[in-house]
Amino acid sequence: MSSKNDGYNGIVTKKDLQRIFVRSIPTELSWNYERQMNMAYAWSLLPVLRKIYPDKEERTKVLQRHLEFYNTTPYIITLPLGITTAMEEQRAKDIDNFDETSITNVKVAMMGPLAGIGDSIFWGTLRIIATGIGTSLALTGNPLGPILYWLIYNVPGLIIRYQLTFLGYKLGSDVIVKANESGMMDKFTNAAAVVGLMVAGAMTAGNVFVTIPLSFGAEGMETSIQSIFDGIVPGILPLCVFGITWWMLKKKISPIAIMFILMAVGIAGAFFGVLA
Amino acid sequence: MVLQTILITLVAILGKCEFLLGTSLIQRPIIMGALTGLVMGDLQAGVIMGATLELAFVGAVSIGAYIPPDMLSGTILGVAFAIKAGMGAEAALTLGMPIATIMLALNTIIGSPVMLFFTHLADKHVAQGNEKMFSFDVIGGGLIAAMVTLPIIPLAFYLGSDAVTAVLGGLPEFIQTGMNIACGMIPALGFAMLAQMIMNKKVAPYFFIGYFMVAYLGEYGIGTTAVALLACLIAAIQMFKSDKPVAVEKPVDNDAEDGGILDEF
Repeated sequence: MSSKNDGYNGIVTKKDLQRIFVRSIPTELSWNYERQMNMAYAWSLLPVLRKIYPDKEERTKVLQRHLEFYNTTPYIITLPLGITTAMEEQRAKDIDNFDETSITNVKVAMMGPLAGIGDSIFWGTLRIIATGIGTSLALTGNPLGPILYWLIYNVPGLIIRYQLTFLGYKLGSDVIVKANESGMMDKFTNAAAVVGLMVAGAMTAGNVFVTIPLSFGAEGMETSIQSIFDGIVPGILPLCVFGITWWMLKKKISPIAIMFILMAVGIAGAFFGVLA
Repeated sequence: MVLQTILITLVAILGKCEFLLGTSLIQRPIIMGALTGLVMGDLQAGVIMGATLELAFVGAVSIGAYIPPDMLSGTILGVAFAIKAGMGAEAALTLGMPIATIMLALNTIIGSPVMLFFTHLADKHVAQGNEKMFSFDVIGGGLIAAMVTLPIIPLAFYLGSDAVTAVLGGLPEFIQTGMNIACGMIPALGFAMLAQMIMNKKVAPYFFIGYFMVAYLGEYGIGTTAVALLACLIAAIQMFKSDKPVAVEKPVDNDAEDGGILDEF
């Protein structure tokens, strides 16, 4: 029995897990319409599987098993990869009694919840914070904007991706299931949604502009329609544009079509002089 | 012009390395716009146009079944043409939008089958126990599939510059003003797409808290960063709150006027 208790059970070492992390980086490079991240999943595990299964015939079967459909948020794929590594290592020790399908089952069961939380944290929250800070600088012509944007997104992204490899390996398969059942994941997703939404709201107010340049009343004492709107609630018109696009999306109108509709509205508004 | 075309190609190659570099968002308009500006000799204009396009495309991320337009080619060509014609960010958007839509179709028609070819090749190589060739299918195949539509960008730049500049110069004024107006409205679409991804009834009010904080207090310097900080604090309070059933019915200032929009959630 090994005397040190550092979470490693023999075959797999820290270095192996670091290799999985490095190989996980180009996950979306081999993304395909048929099985999405399947090639990347098997390829990330290739070196560690060579160690776990020295027998090539067995390894080929394992690789084929990992070439099945997979998809999640790319930045957190190291978590299932780490868990799979721990399970394959267990299986190799007791190859006749270990239920092979449990590895695939755990992988697949995690796909949905992980993609849900990963999408909302990375696409919905971290990216929006990066966009908010980056564009507010860049719109004034400051080249620090794009640089900050890239760093704010990628530094935490890489740290999380790296740490999840080890977390997945050490925690093993039941933790995610438990976390999901205890409502922890929900709580986390909700907290991420709060940040993402507040920033999205702030950016809508700061970056959506539309005004109505019309006015009425006798010459010399016109009241502009815009000043009436501003008196009720500042920024009510941009909020209406937001509401209308929201509604069109709900009606399943494609985003590209909506974009062209907005362009047409803008040009018509300019032609008749009702929008500015 | 030849030198610029070569440099544009390099920027495009860097952008196409997006997925090799870990989906690092290097192909986003805010970064590609700045680099294109640098190539075209007007970094500041490129940075501003890139940020404008970034806001327009803020909802364009591949989530679920939605494949976004090809912002990479839209940004590079849109910004390059706009700077060349001596025009502003709205020209970059006017040009970039259709280009991004067309290039998405080309990527789907040409790039995707190439990747699928390597996917099936990978199955074959793994079955044969050829792990070296499998590695090539994953990385080499992925790069080939990504780069196969790349030449279109420098070609369009080299051949199209004069024609596009002439057309832009001849546009009637109301179209340019109209595009400027559209430029102001299009980010709403991006934020709506984003909000639909993460919004549910329980957290919907937070969108309006963020919105009205900036709408009312923006002139006093309350911007995105301030709201982001406050939002992180609110999220922390929620995370560490005890597990009692919580009512997240926060009063939102002035949201009475917006019942019409709230009704749609």
